[in-house]
Amino acid sequence: MAIVPSSRLQADAHAAAAGLPPLLVAAERVAATVAQGVHGRRRVGLGDTFWQFRPYQPGDPIQRIDWRQSAKSRDVFIREQEWEAAQTVWLWRDTGPWMGFQSRLATETKRHRADLLLLALAILLTAAGERAALLDGEALPATGRASAERLALELDRGGEQPDAAPPIGSRVPRHGELVLFSDFLAPLTETAQVVEHYAGRGVHGHLVQVLDPAEETLPYDGRVRFAGFRGEREVLIPRVTAVREAYRERFAAQADGLAALARTAGWSYAAHRSDAPPQAALLTLWGAMSATAQAG
Amino acid sequence: MLTLGTIAFTTPLILLGLVALPIIYWLLRVTPPAPRHIRFPALRILAELTAREETPARTPWWLLALRLFLAGLILLALAGPVLNPAAGLPGGGPIVIAIDNGWAAAGDWPRRQALLDDLMDRAGREQRRVVLVPTAPPPGGEAPGPLQIGRAADARAVADALEAHPWPVDRAAAAERIVALAGRIDGPAQGIWLADGLADGGDRAFTEAMLRLGGLETVLPEPGRLPIVLTPPEIAGDRLIVAAHRATATGDRTMDLRVLSDDGRVLDRREAWFADGDRSVSVTLDLQTAQRNAAGRVIIADQSTAAAVALLDERWRRRPVGIARSGSGHPAQPLLSDVHYLEQALAPYAEIRADDLSALLPSGVAVLLMPDTGTLSAEDRDQLERWTAEGGILVRFAGPLLAANPDTLVPTPIRFGDRALTGALSWTEPMGLAPFTESSPFFGLSIPAEVQVSRQVLADPTIDLPEKTWAALADGTPLITADRRGEGWLVLVHTSARPEWSNLSLTGLFVQMLRRMVALSEGVPGAAEDVALQPIRTLDARGIPGPAPATALPISGGAIGETPVGPTHPPGYYGIDDQGQALNLGPTIPAPDPLADLPAGVSTRGYAGDAEVDLMPPLLAVALGLLLVDLLITLVLRGLLPALRPQRAVATIAAGLVLAAAPGLWPDRALAQDTSADDFALRASTDVWLAYVQTGDSTVDETSRAGLETLAQVLSRRTAVEAAGAIGVDPARDELAFFPLLYWPMTADHPPLSQTARSRINDYLRSGGTILFDTRDHAMSSPLGGGPGGQRLQVLLEGLEIPPLLPVPPDHVLTKAFYLMQDFPGRYAGGPLWVEAEETLIHDGVSSIIIGANDYAAGWAASPDGQPLYPVVPGGERQREMARRFGVNLVMYTLTGNYKADQVHVPAILERLGQ
Repeated sequence: MAIVPSSRLQADAHAAAAGLPPLLVAAERVAATVAQGVHGRRRVGLGDTFWQFRPYQPGDPIQRIDWRQSAKSRDVFIREQEWEAAQTVWLWRDTGPWMGFQSRLATETKRHRADLLLLALAILLTAAGERAALLDGEALPATGRASAERLALELDRGGEQPDAAPPIGSRVPRHGELVLFSDFLAPLTETAQVVEHYAGRGVHGHLVQVLDPAEETLPYDGRVRFAGFRGEREVLIPRVTAVREAYRERFAAQADGLAALARTAGWSYAAHRSDAPPQAALLTLWGAMSATAQAG
Repeated sequence: MLTLGTIAFTTPLILLGLVALPIIYWLLRVTPPAPRHIRFPALRILAELTAREETPARTPWWLLALRLFLAGLILLALAGPVLNPAAGLPGGGPIVIAIDNGWAAAGDWPRRQALLDDLMDRAGREQRRVVLVPTAPPPGGEAPGPLQIGRAADARAVADALEAHPWPVDRAAAAERIVALAGRIDGPAQGIWLADGLADGGDRAFTEAMLRLGGLETVLPEPGRLPIVLTPPEIAGDRLIVAAHRATATGDRTMDLRVLSDDGRVLDRREAWFADGDRSVSVTLDLQTAQRNAAGRVIIADQSTAAAVALLDERWRRRPVGIARSGSGHPAQPLLSDVHYLEQALAPYAEIRADDLSALLPSGVAVLLMPDTGTLSAEDRDQLERWTAEGGILVRFAGPLLAANPDTLVPTPIRFGDRALTGALSWTEPMGLAPFTESSPFFGLSIPAEVQVSRQVLADPTIDLPEKTWAALADGTPLITADRRGEGWLVLVHTSARPEWSNLSLTGLFVQMLRRMVALSEGVPGAAEDVALQPIRTLDARGIPGPAPATALPISGGAIGETPVGPTHPPGYYGIDDQGQALNLGPTIPAPDPLADLPAGVSTRGYAGDAEVDLMPPLLAVALGLLLVDLLITLVLRGLLPALRPQRAVATIAAGLVLAAAPGLWPDRALAQDTSADDFALRASTDVWLAYVQTGDSTVDETSRAGLETLAQVLSRRTAVEAAGAIGVDPARDELAFFPLLYWPMTADHPPLSQTARSRINDYLRSGGTILFDTRDHAMSSPLGGGPGGQRLQVLLEGLEIPPLLPVPPDHVLTKAFYLMQDFPGRYAGGPLWVEAEETLIHDGVSSIIIGANDYAAGWAASPDGQPLYPVVPGGERQREMARRFGVNLVMYTLTGNYKADQVHVPAILERLGQ
């Protein structure tokens, strides 16, 4: 655990001296409030590390027979891995231009909040002995404080992709853990595609919807011409007040759709508004991940 | 000019613009306001919505109506609407406007001026030339120049400067000027005469001169508005009688008579009225001496003319009374002194000066009372004789000294020695008074039976003695004799002023007799003939005193009684020094008569009638106001007023209008505040509330609220305490006495306490309340000096009555009030908890102050669905549970006091401890 800086000045000095991006400091501060002890498991479960051989029993999948070990004796052995809480968690946050949106109700952009949450989660994870990596990054999953710094630098380097979407690739091993930070305002079908792809590979995931308060409440009045970030046609609303209720319903439907999507895939879903403290989201997320780990 | 009923339009062509309204309507409908541009990520959802949204973009109908109304209003205003348009001026050719601007017009002057203004307007509109004829001579008495024929605009400048004068009109002179005008006007002219309604010697000549020019229209005031003339008061003893005259005899008419001092204070008011048929009325003013001496003028309050003001000067004042003090006064024994009895008798009614004779006379007294004196020096006698000849009243009293030294300064010669009516060698008894004769100034006074005179000086019988006798004894012996000396009186009271010779001075009769004698005094002698009296202050036409104008000329001293008020002598004070003599308008003018028998061909009308009102300015003002409203509405509808939602904006505008229109509504706010305090008290006292102090930091306040709400739920679930919930209080505003416990979180920037708050908190602590101060800084405290919350708390607690504190001892009630516990965690664990030291506990053993640092509310706080809002440090559900248990203990402690400290429960507790 890094030293929690007690003043802003100190934070800045600390950041400058350590070459630590300010985001990392903020993320650490957020993470500090959620931190819990390292969770060792010492039991059979999903994991990458060898735990034990045990004799084959009827019903065991054939793929799991360790042929080399079985060849050494008369019995057929099953290779079991240690159930490691220290799994690799793949993190992704939306880098689309829409994430740069900040209404006057919010204190920071969605992008910044997503980065902060991601990094704070990474710090929590690495502090707990897990490994974390960016889904679309280059670095390999790593653990330890240095990895958080590397992650922070990688986040900082990440520019804006006009058509950002969770990459559908094979980087995530089966039964991996995936956390997606986005506003998920793209059509549900697009999100569903991603979720189904990963869920189909046995990946357990978490959708964290980072929203600006204005997106949820539509706090505008009068005649407004809205322009989009995803290349949509402009929309002229003559009286925003008139459509506010319908918009909120429609928006809630989108959120419900997401939640349903996540539920179907056995994933967790959490919505987070950028005017709420990040700790709340992190606490929820951490709780959900702990629950997964215990259930898995 | 287009006339529609009572409204006319000066430029009706502009009304054609109303045709354009439908076009404006169409334009307004198709031109919505320019939209704002907002980039919005959730555009897709909005786009789906607009597909369904079928209402086209259009201005709301009421806004459309407002704007059309606005446009119509501007058009109407530009068309020059005029309310009550006056008919055209009669006749043709130039207009000759004669206006009476004497004193009689002053009361109604604004009305005349408005009519004049109106006439000028119309003359200007009809492009007619104007001649203005004021009938009163201008100030200074110089003959006015020939009349000017000019354009209405030029004449208006003269008319605006025209004012009423405090002297009568001279219509004969005006007639001459009009006759002189006749040659310079070609063709017939139209005359209009704004008359004051009173007759004047030159009426006939004037109307004939006007008629010779052309037509004449006379504007007359209503009979009820004709002026009233007030004549200066006559002095009748100690009363003043003023007379008022009016021009017509019909109808009742009331007046509000007021006596004012020089500086305008009202000394007396009297309601007076003319009965139907009366042209004059007399009003008696009965003034106290002080009031009468201070009186500066009598006015009729509802008449503002110079004739309704009667200026008072020295002649109407009461002069002071002097009492000559002889050297042999008995200051230590006042009851033996003549001066004492005289002073006592007259003090309520007159200004009294008691002094040596030599000092009194030069200071100017009107009446001199002289108690028994010995021989007067020749000088004194000469002085007194001169003084009485000038109008002084000398009242001498007899006594042993006078009896022994009779002198000649007496009304009638007196004998040497005195007559004793009682005594061992006398046959007679002390004698009462005979009734007063009609010639006596004392006539009418009732004589008390107990008045008895036992000694007196006797007058030598002379032929004129009965005439000189004002009062006599029952046997006819003169008791008071008087003699006219020049302007004044010499009076001798044949008995003493002290009760030595007579008990007269002990009776009320003595007082009344003295008052009658003082009332004889009538001010000061007039000024010398050959002195020029300078105008000091003069009245203007409305009867308001002011500095004399340069055109007022002096009056020679002897002539002031005969000088008429005129252009050179406006009414006012004339004199040499500050206090001059009054020149009043009332006596110099004849009694008012109404203007009557106008020759044939003269049409008359009244001043009444609605004046022409130009509606353009008010219409434009309304249009401007509506424009502002429209601008505001547009801004709101376009969402450019960020703080306002449309409903609130409309409410705000409405509220603004209401407030602007009715500032009187403000006091209601105070009432509203009172009721809100009552509501608060009612709400707070009907249930058990867990109260927290609002710090102004919304996060902290929200945490406090959530924490206490949760604690209230926990309490209801686990204990008999049914707390209604959490309530935020502000010690500076709210009464605290309703709450058993006050949770007070500290922030590093907690606002300082006001004096009210301090005293409230002290009261609260003294009356048994408990405050839990939570410095919330256990995570940040250093061992040396506490955290930021603690430091702030130290500052805040200054001025509060804080008893000595100590960390919670292991056997404190807090450790066993409901749960048994030794640690008191909140969100943080381990911070110490401080309570009052035991020996200072007075309120049933409950510590009034509890100070901790563990951020308790955050430890308790949970969202409504039961999820904790903050992680606890170091962590674990157990810590959260213990935090809540501490909350339960705390509330139990504050509600039940030392109940658990009772030894009775020790065995049970021990038993449980043993398990």
